[in-house]
Amino acid sequence: MSYVIGTIINLLVSTSYAMTPLTLTAVGEITSERAGVVNIGLEGMISVSALVSVAVATQTLNPWLGLLAGVGVGALIGLIHGLISAYGKGAQIISGVGINIFALGFVPYMIIALWGVAGYKQVPEAGRIPRVAGLVSPVFILCVLVAIATHYVLFRTSLGLKIRALGEEPQAADTLGIHVERLQLIAAVYGGALAGLAGAFMSLDWLGTITKEIAAGRGFISLALVVFSNWKPSLALLGGALFGSSWALTEWLKVLPGVKGVVPVTIINTLPYVVTLGAVAGVIGRARPPRKSGVPYLRE
Amino acid sequence: MEDTEATGPDECLVSMKSVVKIYPDGTIALRGVDFTLRRGEIHGLLGENGAGKTTLMKILAGVLKPTSGTIYVGGRKVGFSAAADALKLGIGMVHQNLSLIPSFTVYENIVLGLSRRQLLNAKEGINKLMSLTGLKVPLDERVEGLPFGVRQKVEVLKMLFRNVDVLILDEPTTNLTLTETRELFNVINGLRRMGKSVVFITHKLREVLEVADRITVLRRGRVAGEVPRVEASLNLLAQLMVGKDAIPAVSRGVSTVGEELLIVRDLWILSDLGTWAVKGVSLTVRSGEILGIAGVEGNGQKELVEGLTGLRRVEKGEVIFRGQRIDNLPPSELYKLGVAHIPEDRVQVGLIQDFTVNENSILGIQRSMFFRGFLNTLAWDKVVEHASDLITKFNVIVPSLFSPVKYLSGGNQQRLVVAREISKEPQLIIAAQPTRGLDISATEHIRGLLLDLKKRGKVVLLVSSDLEEILQLSDRVAVMYEGRFVGVKDVGELTEDKLGLMLGGVSD
Amino acid sequence: MRGKVIRDVLVKTGNVVTAMTAGLIIGGLIMQAYGYDALHAYYSLLRHALGNPLTDAYPLTSTLSLATPLIFTGLAFAVSVRSGLFNIGVENAVYLGALGMVLASGLLRADTPLVLIIGSLMGLGLSVLFAFVAASLKVFRGVHEVITTIMLNWIAYWLVDYVRVNVFPDPRDPSKTIAVPPSARIPLLIRGTELSASFVIAILASLTTYFILWYTVFGYELRATGINLMAARYAGMKTSRLTIYSFLFSAVLGGLAGVCEITGRPPHYSITTGISNLMGLGFDGIAVSLIGLNHPIAVIPASILIGALNTGVRGMQIEARVPFELVRLVQGVIVVSLALPGLLSTLQKYLGIRRGRREVVVS
Repeated sequence: MSYVIGTIINLLVSTSYAMTPLTLTAVGEITSERAGVVNIGLEGMISVSALVSVAVATQTLNPWLGLLAGVGVGALIGLIHGLISAYGKGAQIISGVGINIFALGFVPYMIIALWGVAGYKQVPEAGRIPRVAGLVSPVFILCVLVAIATHYVLFRTSLGLKIRALGEEPQAADTLGIHVERLQLIAAVYGGALAGLAGAFMSLDWLGTITKEIAAGRGFISLALVVFSNWKPSLALLGGALFGSSWALTEWLKVLPGVKGVVPVTIINTLPYVVTLGAVAGVIGRARPPRKSGVPYLRE
Repeated sequence: MEDTEATGPDECLVSMKSVVKIYPDGTIALRGVDFTLRRGEIHGLLGENGAGKTTLMKILAGVLKPTSGTIYVGGRKVGFSAAADALKLGIGMVHQNLSLIPSFTVYENIVLGLSRRQLLNAKEGINKLMSLTGLKVPLDERVEGLPFGVRQKVEVLKMLFRNVDVLILDEPTTNLTLTETRELFNVINGLRRMGKSVVFITHKLREVLEVADRITVLRRGRVAGEVPRVEASLNLLAQLMVGKDAIPAVSRGVSTVGEELLIVRDLWILSDLGTWAVKGVSLTVRSGEILGIAGVEGNGQKELVEGLTGLRRVEKGEVIFRGQRIDNLPPSELYKLGVAHIPEDRVQVGLIQDFTVNENSILGIQRSMFFRGFLNTLAWDKVVEHASDLITKFNVIVPSLFSPVKYLSGGNQQRLVVAREISKEPQLIIAAQPTRGLDISATEHIRGLLLDLKKRGKVVLLVSSDLEEILQLSDRVAVMYEGRFVGVKDVGELTEDKLGLMLGGVSD
Repeated sequence: MRGKVIRDVLVKTGNVVTAMTAGLIIGGLIMQAYGYDALHAYYSLLRHALGNPLTDAYPLTSTLSLATPLIFTGLAFAVSVRSGLFNIGVENAVYLGALGMVLASGLLRADTPLVLIIGSLMGLGLSVLFAFVAASLKVFRGVHEVITTIMLNWIAYWLVDYVRVNVFPDPRDPSKTIAVPPSARIPLLIRGTELSASFVIAILASLTTYFILWYTVFGYELRATGINLMAARYAGMKTSRLTIYSFLFSAVLGGLAGVCEITGRPPHYSITTGISNLMGLGFDGIAVSLIGLNHPIAVIPASILIGALNTGVRGMQIEARVPFELVRLVQGVIVVSLALPGLLSTLQKYLGIRRGRREVVVS
């Protein structure tokens, strides 16, 4: 009995960890897409922020400064992408892919450049984020709050109304005197900041290490989560728990007696991706993207 | 807005002087228009397509910038760089395709962009406004589920809630039912009592007579006349709108009219909004005949053409061509049966702008065995031969056969489309607005080609909002109004009065 | 009028050159910032990329050899862009193409050229299968291809890793799969180099792709659908079917990259741990395709350019101690820059360079 309860608690805790980066990133991307800016560079932003936050935390031995640096770097990349998308009327998908490719080179390059090691770098204990009650991450709590707050702002305030109008019909918003580009930029920066927080959480808190594959597709799974949650931050919290539990389950299955050594680990590893693919394919008919998301707004 | 208060009630609230608008593509929409609007008046702005009504009002609403000319609001010269600027000065426009956000609720649409403080008592304010004006809308429902008439009310409320003094309505009755139109007129009359000024853009004669205090008629970018309501009559307005030179004395050429090739029975087609755009249209065309379908745009012609050419679903009714049912056949099948289509939108539909002249010359006939070479490949030598054949025969001026068509002028693009469609040797050609925006020589050329087809015993279905074109080419004319044919007449029976009346929805 | 066409091409080329300059400058700054000598690094990169072709064939052959898989993946991506898709599944096609060869080698256990034939068929079959999943989800369910293809990339990744660890590991070196038998390998063009006949196959693939896109009705319709869906429908094309074919076409090209990489590159002839010898080739194809203006022929010089960078960077790593990953970083900056439609004109405006002609203000 106690074994069962222990397992359940274990799974819940590991789900809370696995869902945090997915939910944070998805909530940011929801805000950005609601404002009309699609960013498929999330994967790259997670890994770049993860790296920078480790660099700062290792240097200062202060995890909070590291976390802040991660958020800042995410916001910076969000700013660049926002400038290209909102003001430059550029191709958002290409810019996003470029960010991913950049990260593919930047992260392993920096691991060598900073620490002279190839592959991965452990975060020193003093640079790791302490846990609440020895169990829960403060970032997880922050993540829940952020999701709820973002939901509130998007759906209950005049600012949220403006943001959502941009993704649906920027022209209507423009006519009413809303600054389309400025608000799109802000939303893109916010999205970047949350992806940055997700990355910093992964390296400084959850995994305690930085590798070049740290994001492992989570940026793209967050994109799928955006679709799955029908562009609603509150549902991203629930969907994040679902997607996150598939990661927790994966890790659990790997060591489960009767599975361990029987089903290869590599096969178990495909689970989160299969779950994501199935979930998105199943729900897509009912999900409704913002109508003008990803489309540059050009005036008459 | 101190200046406006200084002006008396009869003074002009808005005055536009010698407004000229030339679009970037060279189209001249306004050629020096003066327009005045008094406080508390309903001003009808009447004209057919291309007269410049919407352009003029978009300039007043800050959506477009004039090429030259000045605007005074409340006696003060103004220059708008965005619609929001005009809105701040109390000028709001309700566009034909409303700028509402479908997934938002009515309330959200109305208060969009307002600050938190303005939102405090918003619901109360809107409710008060609703009872004051008689505009009743469900505040908490999503706009997308509402019928068009209600959506329009939302848009009007949105403007009134922002305290506009001038409300511009662009063809507001286009998608309305009769009852809805009545309601709208009541609202407009109520606005007059509140001291608001309304500009009512329309082509519908009876409606403008019913609701306007003063009527400005535009024709081809100029003011054709400005009449107070008391002096206006259906006939006078029709004449001003269409002009004395409408009926050209051009010989249509004789052709032997033969058997009935195209028969359409009780056709029903939906618009993008999900309302009926075509409501039971029937027609027959014989070989060697041009049937002209006239009408102001937005009366269902576009949907009718798309339905006949396989681009839009026909919900009800049948289309019979040479004894065979062809309704809801895909475009590729229609082509094989000898149906060609000159689409209304040459930029987005008729041509692929980034494709070369060569490539565009086989659009739609790309599968023809004629262009196949060794191993079934596309034989470019044959395509080039075909393309150069087209451009010489049809006088298309191109920089090179290998340059993208986006570098061709509008007239040459259209010549290319027409040339390609005629080269398909069709039995039936459906030509939608075939000469819109073209210069005289291109226009005459294309009209000549259509007449030539007719002489060779083909069927031509000409859909055009250009009356001159309809009258010059057609043997019989049908006027489309609100999804139906107002009447089908031999061209000889038509006078400018009669035509103007039919266009405005008045049948005899 | 004719000048416009030429100007168009010049502007596009100018954009690419500007983007590449931006990439190199930012790459240089990042090197400098972390204590490397950027000028020295770029110099050694250049020297190793070019070498002296008369005395030393290695740099040139190495460049061409490294360009080979990029030609395939660049083509694969160009085909998808030309048909209006953003198919990132090229990456999994590469893995699966290689996987097919490994499976054939492991199953047949014979040193015969037959392995090459069966292996490539299996590899391409697997690539096409995965692409079909993405294509159907796009056409029938409306799921955006970026999401599906990335998930499929990871699924393919772990499947390949499964085969490497559990099914056909190299008995002598378990970090790799078993190798493709010698007689099933694509012969080297020049002994002692890495350049194999797969380069020739890549060139042929490029010509074939060009031929299909511009000399067949299928290619014509594919391109039409990619530019203007409405006009394509007007012209009677079956656009959904064309979308599916485009996915499959890309998958075949991507799969070929995998097949050629594992049968035509010494010394491994196998899939190494973490799929490190294949990983990222699909993503590099995006940069290659965009630099080559998504044209099948221009993809060749674009691949050679990136191939030269990849060759030079090896020398750079040894001489200036700069990690070779720098090249991918530079590529990323190039792609981000290429997202801006009027890169060159924006830059001109920013730098205050005036055009000779004044534009007439109309609106």
